[in-house]
Parts: sequence; structure tokens; C-alpha cells
Amino acid sequence: MAPILITGMGVVSAIGVGQAETLDALLNNRSGVGPLAYLKTEHKEFPVGEVKLTDAEMRARLGIPETAITTRTALMGMLALEEALCDAHLTPGMLPQVGFISGTTVGGMDMSEQFYLDYISSEAHKEYIAVHDCGSCTEMTANRFGKFAFTTTLSTACSSAANAIILGANMIRCGEADIVVVGGSECITKFHLNGFNSLMILDTEPCRPFDATRRGLNLGEGAAYLVLESEESAKRRCVKPQAMLSGYGNACDAFHQTASSPDGEGAYRAMKEALEEAGIKPADVDYINAHGTGTTNNDASESQAMKRLFGDQVPPVSSTKPFTGHTTSASGSIEAVFCIMALQQGFLPVNLNWSQPMEDGIIPVSQPTKKALKHVLCNAFGFGGNDSSLLLSKPES
Amino acid sequence: MMESKEIYVLSAKQVSVQQPLSEDWMRDPVVYDVPFARAIDPSFKDYVSPIEARRMGKILKRALATSKEALKAAGLETVDTIITGTGYGCIENTEFFLDALSKDGEQLLKPTYFMQSTHNTISSLVAIQTRNHGYNVTYAHKGISFDSALQDVWLQFRLGKINSALVGGHDEMTETFYHILKKGGVMGKDDELCGEAAVSVVLSTENDNALCKLKSFKMLHQPSLTALKDEFADVDYVLTGISGDHENDKAYLNEARALFGDKPLLKYKHLFGESFTSSGLGFYVAAQCLHAGFVPPSLFVNPEEADDRKPKRILLYNRSDGKNCSLTMLEA
Repeated sequence: MAPILITGMGVVSAIGVGQAETLDALLNNRSGVGPLAYLKTEHKEFPVGEVKLTDAEMRARLGIPETAITTRTALMGMLALEEALCDAHLTPGMLPQVGFISGTTVGGMDMSEQFYLDYISSEAHKEYIAVHDCGSCTEMTANRFGKFAFTTTLSTACSSAANAIILGANMIRCGEADIVVVGGSECITKFHLNGFNSLMILDTEPCRPFDATRRGLNLGEGAAYLVLESEESAKRRCVKPQAMLSGYGNACDAFHQTASSPDGEGAYRAMKEALEEAGIKPADVDYINAHGTGTTNNDASESQAMKRLFGDQVPPVSSTKPFTGHTTSASGSIEAVFCIMALQQGFLPVNLNWSQPMEDGIIPVSQPTKKALKHVLCNAFGFGGNDSSLLLSKPES
Repeated sequence: MMESKEIYVLSAKQVSVQQPLSEDWMRDPVVYDVPFARAIDPSFKDYVSPIEARRMGKILKRALATSKEALKAAGLETVDTIITGTGYGCIENTEFFLDALSKDGEQLLKPTYFMQSTHNTISSLVAIQTRNHGYNVTYAHKGISFDSALQDVWLQFRLGKINSALVGGHDEMTETFYHILKKGGVMGKDDELCGEAAVSVVLSTENDNALCKLKSFKMLHQPSLTALKDEFADVDYVLTGISGDHENDKAYLNEARALFGDKPLLKYKHLFGESFTSSGLGFYVAAQCLHAGFVPPSLFVNPEEADDRKPKRILLYNRSDGKNCSLTMLEA
């Protein structure tokens, strides 16, 4: 398989806006999870990983007037996309040759949940009706920067951004495009905070993935985009690859709508496919950025899947969710950015808040560790047993 | 790497405002003079147990019915991949949850509606029920949601990753949601009939009594179509998404005439209704016409152009919001 190059990236999450703040937080074990400050909800008991900007502050940064119709998911998406395009030296004039694929599930729900009763019984806020759907979020984000060749939206819950990356790679491999910008964006909403709460999978303490005392996840939010590019195109444009996407897999657990199977069948298949596609052995994997949400069910299931694939030789694993909270649809691309930073800087991100081994679970990275990395796996699993795994590698010099 | 195998459409099943799981519309279509109609549902008892059915929204029951019928008609137990397009996902359950959140506050919410409110609930349910561990994704992008699913399958076939696929297009519309969308200017303009769509299509590289072949596919955003004129020139009919939305219809007519000259234009949304995945019904209509060997007179934009030619190639031309566009060529 021809390698897919990554020639740019942009990221926004609770640990910072942009690559510099993000890397600094990761290297210094600085979590962005804390008391609720931005979302208007009764549930103040849950810690969250919010992006530390109000909608108005994001608008101001982007120069978007107060009166323009937009949503928080689109605003975060624009901040991340701006950085990714700039990082890859893509100008508006080049966008008609570039695709844009984004993942989201809540779309414009942040507005719909505020105005729902108005939508039904009055004329107030009706201009937000047309931006409720996921596709509108993608288009608002894309259209700010120019005229992309094509856009579409993946919506597979928490694996959405990872699946956007997979689609972009397949388009390049098919020769449908030379450059595709891929990733996802998702803000916290009352809708899914309450949904996750009704499923009793939110922890009132900071989340502790793979810990014996774990009791659930903390919600997070953010956006990240990667610029995927064919080798020829990068050569032609004289841009240096930051990493390679050397394999990827998606499989369905086909077990339950909101729970993972005890043996992690879907996760196992997704990781296995990613390695097979890259043509590497399990022993060649230097680090796994786990989905690791901190729920009892996910971490047990994911541990089993890793043990099935790697046997006694499970590579270093960490979940970075204690840094950012679970950024749901955006987690696949946000954590792919973390993996690329780990490849570039040669370090293992720490699984914060971990102290006690869980029964039959993996032991995550709990201390800052310098390590030269060549291949890293990045997992993102969603409701409906939608499991995706990406293999990111150091570019060949 | 790139495979050039033929891709066959083995089956195509629908539940919509026409007779469900049937091609009766070809000779005797249900005619509507209302702006909004809900789908005519089949009996679901063959597809889902009564206990399960009680907890399931209509969109899920319809997806199971069309998926299982499509697999049965294709003679397949399962497929290599399940890919779904849905503009709004499980909107009825989303409404229930939003309604409770807005009226009762945040303390009494139950998980049932939330669990079945995400877009990929549909594809996952089909996978769970058919025990399918293959590649499984869902697209939610306005009027090209089904087209995006079709594009993914098109890529997977060409990369040789799959030999068979179940592609779905599913959107439900409640009375409340129809009024919201109309108020927001999203749908229900002018003479448009808004409906619901549930379409399942089985594609395969093996030809076993296929309805037709999928010859080519292209999806674009804000395109200039003239560059594609030659690639899609050799067709008998152009099936458009003309819907009764005057502004969009005018653009369809202008562009179609410029691109395809005097090729007879067809439409289907006046019979099947508009929704974000109605283009899936367009795919179904074209496939059934090629299979039946005739185009029903009710589909012609200009009734005077109606003829009894046996169609060889039908081009589906979908343009949505004046921005998103797809071209799909099906061949007998």
C-alpha cells in the first residue's frame, strides 16, 4: 500500500488551542478537566474537559460577527481547520483541489437544545433550525476558508473523526483526491451530558482509565483536523510529512448499542486490520493510545482486545482522556494529533490519575517516559460497537 | 490495487409514502396532494419481535425490514460491509429526549430514547441483527447522505476491500419535525411533498440475477459540472431530484439541459417525497426501471417525452442546496 502522508494538523481541546499549547500540556501532565464553567446545565457535579473559551470569544478570535449564525461545534472546527490549513501551507486558492471530511454527532444540538420549544411554538431563533444537522456544521466550517472540492460528514458517535480519516485515506488511495483534510469536531451539549448521565457512565471524580477504582468518563470537547496527502503531491508542493498513516481498520462489535463485548471482538478486529494493512507485526507497535474512557465496560473490553492481539507483549498503553475528557466524535482526530506529537517528540503520554491495577486489565504508562517511537496505534470506539484503529508511523527519511 | 470488476445491484427495497416493499408504484402510484405524508409501513412482525419492536423507533423497524428483504432478495445471509446514510438519524427519539429535557428538566431523564438517538444506531442495529462484524459507517450530510454512503462503497469495491455491501438510506419525519423544518426553510418549499425514506440496496461483484450494474459515481461540492459532461454523456434518461422547490427545480432544468441536451428528464420526488435521503429512493427507482425494462410515464418531467423504450443507462443527478451534487450511472 502506498503511504498516506500527514502534512499538517490543527487541534483544539481542553488542554489548549493549537499545537503549541497542546504539546506543552501533554509534556507537563497538565489536565484540562475541571469544574463545569461554560455549559449551562444543572449537573454541576460532573468534571468536564471544556475548551476554555466562550462562543463569543471564539467568534472574536475568528472575526465572526455576533449576528452570524453558527454553532460551537463549527466554531471549534474553524479554529482547528485554520491551523491545519496553515500548517500544511494550503491557501484558499488551492482548496478547489482539496476535500474536507468531518465527523460529528451532536452537530448543532447546542442551539437546538436551547431553542427547541421556540422551534415548535414561535418564530424565535428559527434561523438556527437549518444548522441543526451534522452536515451543516461541516459546511459552515469548510465554507469559511473557501471552496473545497467535496465535503461530507461521518456520524458514528465517538469513532466519527477516526472514520473520517479512514475515508480520506481511501479517497487518496483510489486517486479521487491528492489532498483531503480529515477529522472531527464536537462540543459538549446538555443533550449528551444528560444522555451519558442517564446511562450512568459519568464519573463525579476525574476519570481514571484502566484503574481498579474507575467509575466512568468525563465529557470533553474539541476539534482536530489532519491534512492527508499523497506522496507525489507532497513532493510536488515541497512540503515535509510530519507522520504517515500506514494502516487503519474499522469493525463492528455487533454486540450491543451502548456496551462493548466482554472479549472486545470489534476492537480486536479493528487493531488487527490496521496492522495487517501496514504489513507490520504486533511486536512492531511501540505505543497504543487507547480509547480508554474510564468506564468499567470499555476498559475491560479494550484490555481483552489488546491482550488477544499482543499476548504477553502488550506495548506501552495510555489513555489521554484524563487530559481532555472524552471528546466524543472528535476524539479520533484529537488523539491522532497526540500520537503524532508523541512520534515527533519521542515520548509516551501519561495515563493521568492511574494508581491501582484493574483485574485482568493492562497496566498503563503512569510516569513521563522518553522513548523513540516508530509505529503507534490510536483507538477510537463508538456507540453501536463502532470500533476504529489507526496506525500512525514516523515518516521514512 | 485498483480493481475494475463490475459492480452489480442485486436488490433494492423501500419503505416510503408509496406501497411498502413493493413496485406497485410503477403501474399504480399513490398520489398525494398534501405537503407532508408519513410512510406507509409494512407489518414489521416478520422482521422484529413484538418485545423489541415496542422499544424501537419507526426508522429502526423500517431499516430492519428493508435490510432483511434486500438481503433475502439478493440471496445473501450477510455482506462484507454495512454503510448507511441518514440526514437526521433517529429524529423521533431525539425529539422525545429533547422534549423531556426542555419540559421536565435534567433530573428525570431515562436512557431509552438517548440510546437510540444517534445516527449510527441504524447501521449498528442491522449489524447486530445480521451478526456482521465488517466495516460499518454512517454518513449524515444533508441531501447527499445516501450518496456519501454509496461513494464509500464505490471506493471499497475499487480498492478490492469488499465483494458485497448493504447500503442504506434512512430518514424519518414526524409531524412536529416537518413543521420545524418548514419553519426553518430547510424543506417543504412551494409545491414540495415531504416524506420519509427507508431504502436498502445490496451490491456485489457477483452477478446473481442482478437488477442492474453500478457503472460510475462522482460526488462534488459547489461543482462546475461541465468538466464531467463527457464522462456521463452516454445515457438514455436523466433522473433528477426535481421536487416542487421552484428555485432548485429551475437550477436542475437549466443545468440538466446544458449538460445533457435533449435527453429526457425524469423525476421521482413527486411520488416518493423529499427527505435528506430521498436520493436513495432515486437509486431504487432507477434500478427498478432498468430491471423492469421500461420507464413509467408518471416519471417524465415533460409528459410528452414519455416513451416505451427499454432503458439501457439511467443517470441519477442529485443536487442539493445548490452546493452538493452527485452523479450516479446505472446500466441494465
